[in-house]
Amino acid sequence: MKKLLLSLYATLTFALLVWGFYQAIYIAPADDRLGGQGELYRIIFYHVPSAMVAFLFFAISLAGSIGYLSFRRGRDAWAQISDAWALAGAEVGVVFCTVVLITGPMWGRRAWGIWWTWDWRLTTTLVLWLIYVSYLLLRRFAAGPQMQTLAAVLGIFGALDVPIVYMSNRWWRTQHPAPVFGGDADSGFKDPRMLHAFVWNILAWLAWGLLILIVRYYAERRGQKIAAQDVQDALNA
Amino acid sequence: MRKLAVSLIVAFPIALLGWACFLVLFAPAEPPFDWMNSMSVADHNTLVALIDHHYTVAAYVITWAIQLGYLAWLGLRWQAKKLDPARASRNS
Repeated sequence: MKKLLLSLYATLTFALLVWGFYQAIYIAPADDRLGGQGELYRIIFYHVPSAMVAFLFFAISLAGSIGYLSFRRGRDAWAQISDAWALAGAEVGVVFCTVVLITGPMWGRRAWGIWWTWDWRLTTTLVLWLIYVSYLLLRRFAAGPQMQTLAAVLGIFGALDVPIVYMSNRWWRTQHPAPVFGGDADSGFKDPRMLHAFVWNILAWLAWGLLILIVRYYAERRGQKIAAQDVQDALNA
Repeated sequence: MRKLAVSLIVAFPIALLGWACFLVLFAPAEPPFDWMNSMSVADHNTLVALIDHHYTVAAYVITWAIQLGYLAWLGLRWQAKKLDPARASRNS
């Protein structure tokens, strides 16, 4: 039953991704305003949804980390579940954040003429990525009973950077464009077809992200169960 | 058969990454600052549109290279855990 549901969800996700791609490439018009970006602006349909999904997954990692610290004394099963969500959220979040950090400079190269600038939005995003990469390295290479606790604390501190990244182009003067939603009067899409394509792509990438998040969560839970079984076997030997 | 499947799963994201790099590295050169002296406005716009197209396609392709690469890595790690010989011998 679980496999059937996952297959149905995967099919729906695939359909959403195809539909999102079709909307982004064939339905949304080019940005042909004076000084507009022509076809180049279509990078927004992959770049911004990836950033949104990364933020959401770092929030899931934050919730998992808080859950682990809350349940680690007494409710071991819940603590392990929380820890698995924290790791899955951080890892898949890093994947999406990597997409943001690579597609952004490609867009910047054409729109601004430079690959990178130490602007607030770009720098805080890079710091966020580095924090979560260090979280994953800690999980990979540290050993011992304190590893999960240290990772949870790092996960909580890492998540503090998310609101700073989000607000950076509101708080400070940046080269990065104004936010699509809730920005100044000049921000946002000028054509409703662009907005529709954008929303479809947010849904598609969110669905894809959730799919790989679930797969990663189950992989981690499986790993935890194998590790627990190994400990039990060693004690019985 | 399994080896072929694994090779394909690994090779596909790498091929996408190669394609994206190719698109960026071999995009046409930018028009010079004084392009008005050497080309018409229509030619300039065509050239800019072509370079933009290279970068837009590269951004899409690299997104999929990263996502599918991660999925392949996840799948291979899952398989490796399942087929861990040390564990299999302990359980037998």
